[in-house]
Amino acid sequence: MFRNYVKIAWRNILNSIGYSILNVTGLSIGMCVALLIGLWVHHQYSFDRFLPEYQSVYRVQRNFNSNGDTLTFPTTSLKLADALRTQIPEIQYVAESDWTRNHVLLVGTKKLSVNGATAGTDIFKILQHPFIKGNADAAFKNAYSIVLTQSLAKSLFGNEDAAINKTIRFDNAHNLTVTGIIKDVPSNATFSFDYIVPSSFVYATNPQIKTDGLSSFSNNNLQIFVKLKPGVSYEQVAPKIRNIEHTEKGNINAMNSYVILQRMDRWHLYSNYINGKDTAGFLSYVKMFSIIGLLVLIIACINFVNLTTARSDKRAKEVGVRKAVGSQKKHLIIQFLTESFLLTTAAFVFAFLFTLLLLPLFNTFTQSHISVPAGSFYFWLAVTGCLFLITLLAGGRPAFHLSSFNPVKVLKGFSPTGQSSFSRKLLVIIQFSCSVALIISTLIIYKQIQYAKNRPSGYSLNRLMTTNMNDDLQKNFTALKNELISKGIASSVTTATSPATDVWWHSDVDYWPGKNAGETIEMGTIQVSEDYFKTVGMKMFEGRDFSNAYDSTSVIFNETAIQRLRLKNPIGQKITWHEKNYTIAGVVKDALMVSPFKTADPTMFFCVAAPQGNLLYRLSANTETQHSIVQLTSIFNKYAPAYPYEYAFSDQQYATKFNLEQLTGKLAALFASLSVFISCLGLFGLAAYVAEQRRKEIGIRKVLGASVRQVWILLSKDFLLLVLISCLIAAPVSFYFLHKWLLNYDYRISIGFSVFVLSALLALLVTIVTVSFQSIKAAIANPVKSLRTE
Amino acid sequence: MLELKKIYKWVNNGNQRVFLLKDINLTIQEGAFVSIMGPSGSGKSTLLNVIGMLDGFNEGEYRFLGESVHQLKEKQRTNLYKQHIGFVFQAYHLIDELTVYENIETPLLYQNVKGSERKAMVADILDRFNIVAKKDLFPAQLSGGQQQLVGIARALIARPKLLLADEPTGNLNSRQGEEIMELFTQLNKEGTTIVQVTHSEKNAAYGNHIISLLDGMIENSGIQN
Repeated sequence: MFRNYVKIAWRNILNSIGYSILNVTGLSIGMCVALLIGLWVHHQYSFDRFLPEYQSVYRVQRNFNSNGDTLTFPTTSLKLADALRTQIPEIQYVAESDWTRNHVLLVGTKKLSVNGATAGTDIFKILQHPFIKGNADAAFKNAYSIVLTQSLAKSLFGNEDAAINKTIRFDNAHNLTVTGIIKDVPSNATFSFDYIVPSSFVYATNPQIKTDGLSSFSNNNLQIFVKLKPGVSYEQVAPKIRNIEHTEKGNINAMNSYVILQRMDRWHLYSNYINGKDTAGFLSYVKMFSIIGLLVLIIACINFVNLTTARSDKRAKEVGVRKAVGSQKKHLIIQFLTESFLLTTAAFVFAFLFTLLLLPLFNTFTQSHISVPAGSFYFWLAVTGCLFLITLLAGGRPAFHLSSFNPVKVLKGFSPTGQSSFSRKLLVIIQFSCSVALIISTLIIYKQIQYAKNRPSGYSLNRLMTTNMNDDLQKNFTALKNELISKGIASSVTTATSPATDVWWHSDVDYWPGKNAGETIEMGTIQVSEDYFKTVGMKMFEGRDFSNAYDSTSVIFNETAIQRLRLKNPIGQKITWHEKNYTIAGVVKDALMVSPFKTADPTMFFCVAAPQGNLLYRLSANTETQHSIVQLTSIFNKYAPAYPYEYAFSDQQYATKFNLEQLTGKLAALFASLSVFISCLGLFGLAAYVAEQRRKEIGIRKVLGASVRQVWILLSKDFLLLVLISCLIAAPVSFYFLHKWLLNYDYRISIGFSVFVLSALLALLVTIVTVSFQSIKAAIANPVKSLRTE
Repeated sequence: MLELKKIYKWVNNGNQRVFLLKDINLTIQEGAFVSIMGPSGSGKSTLLNVIGMLDGFNEGEYRFLGESVHQLKEKQRTNLYKQHIGFVFQAYHLIDELTVYENIETPLLYQNVKGSERKAMVADILDRFNIVAKKDLFPAQLSGGQQQLVGIARALIARPKLLLADEPTGNLNSRQGEEIMELFTQLNKEGTTIVQVTHSEKNAAYGNHIISLLDGMIENSGIQN
């Protein structure tokens, strides 16, 4: 019996090969999209969940009360790490870490600049990365040690066996012994590194860092990881740690800080803190794309339903005959479901192949590292489950519809299709509502990105370059600066504690004229060398620039900072910062150093004589960049021979601020065009069906004198009406969601009427093109032929 | 009214040429009632379609009301038959989704007749055919004879000079068929030229000019008075 079903199903598929191709194509595109998004979503949810006991691992965050607003910072102090370790018995391990940076590792003649962290001794007891050589207890007994990942060990020493107990020259200053090899940190880890050096090494080589770190809760430049003791919940610990920094009386910053923990599995998806709670973040994007993936799949299933029910009159006679010879309804249902299962499976095979083919492209596109878990039992279980679900979803309605025909009626030639045309129209409306909504979203996302890109940034990033400072460059900074300028390579050179496109340090102004009691204002803080404003191209709003490298009692604020401080005549006023008095020398115009979508951060600039961590230099005008880089390489190698010359262009760094929005825009565009394409496949099939069904009518109308144009309009207008209704539904729905999305941005477009009109026109145009192929074909057919069939 | 001269129509089947119409010479005067007879496949319907300009031909000349049909462009041809020719089919070919009223009205829509005038014309013909009561029914709710009556009403609504009927009584019982033939005779007396294709000798006899076709050729053509 089942063989018979399969055979009949197969023949039916072949008989109407055109429809079958439409069906399978649409469905496989839908499945491919769903599969890609499904893998992507799974990847996002898998973040930080691969380590043992991840559920008791936390990262420390500080809620900071800034004049009633709660701001959350992940930066913490060594003193806090120490306090958590000694005062809270529920916490098993505490490890502080820096934010990872590139250091130069030298083995023999092999010189690599690699990203790694310095971290507390217990780091591998908290983040329990599996050791291949060595173990978590012994790894950091000695301060001069280093733990490598497997692949770094391979690239430095050839293989991991050769690496253990070998010596590595670190930053051309110290020798470290390899005490452990761990497995590579997976791509779905939030805290990612290629090696870890113990913090004890940093303190041994620079004891001042430890003294400073332990002196105040305000020296926030580290991140802290903790592991709770087994059986201890966060709720038990939370009240004990909340006010732990309040012991430092007299430190406003510490008194306004409240310590909280964020569990490891929330690091990736709940990255944004709003009012001190990790309620938002990347999760909203993951959710959005899950919904889009599901919608595209549903659109594809709707195609399937529509094309199959539309063709039901072709099958009506078969149903009649089968029922007349004794088939029960359930046999027919099984038969039709078998057919749809075959098509679904075929579609899945194509979808799977597409996915394998497109995955590398998708990975570059989304900057992720997803692979198809083809060896996983659960993957195939999920796939099989989905196949059955889609079979029911797509094939269920047609199966029940077809099997319910009354045999006497269908055998007499009664055509049962009219009944389902309403639900078919409804489904088309759903399809196009989704598609149009996606078109609208794409347009608005692109407009928003374009709007922010065209926003004046307030400074000039063109030809501006950054290099991380290292010990050698620091020593030779003055010579380097002079050589760059005298050789005409750079027009201006400076250093700062932050790169040109970010603010790495926030601190409080302790006192300013007009300060209310207990008031705190957290400000971006940048220590700069001479020529900073000239180099980054910021213009003075009023007052003056720092007079020279030793202008250490002056401070310069940006406009927003002055507004926050409520200073009417700022120039010459005195403020206190870090227990020192400064005079406001000038106000610089706002620059969008942090986010092009937000208002500028309030920022203050201090001038220091010693070079800071980021070397900033602007290439001279009219020099060729490639040539300049060759010259720069030789000069930098001369002054810092142990370090490879590395650089970044500030305008490119600025461009990365649009990455998430750009990714969203690209994906929305991709899915919008796919869903439009799938919907059009369905429409194409329906138009063909309608043209076929109304063939006789068209023949009669032509005989009665209808022109090609009239028939074309007759056949197309119904579809156009459906799409028009879809546009009317899509417009308010997408307006609601996009308006909410735009609220994330301080600097945003207002949604204009034109976007909706443009999207509607686009949808209508695509519809006309799709439908016209069939309706014109029907309209120019000779009526004699269609009428002779009777 | 119309004149066919040396009309040939063929299809190529492989390298064989199959003639559907062969050397047709025919003149139909205004006011005639022509019956085309012949066995199945003899080319009756093809000839009717050629006369009705629904189908083309490969060779020959066709003049209709002084116009050379074979030289006209598609659009002009459509305009010509839209104004002057009405069709009646064996299978009625009413549009199932339209009511009786709407079916009859359709040709007027394609001739851009104004709304009020359309109303008057349809009301007039409904009245004349005694089907006023049925005007809001759909074709499926009518008997075959009634459907054909609607089909004829629709064919006549634009007051054509020529009525072409392809086996108009083929799907009807004999009493209904007789009524339709009576109606044709009546219409013919009022001045409408009629060309019908029929199998039935009896129906053919209603006409005054009988043409017998065999294998695409006119076997016999006789005008009776």
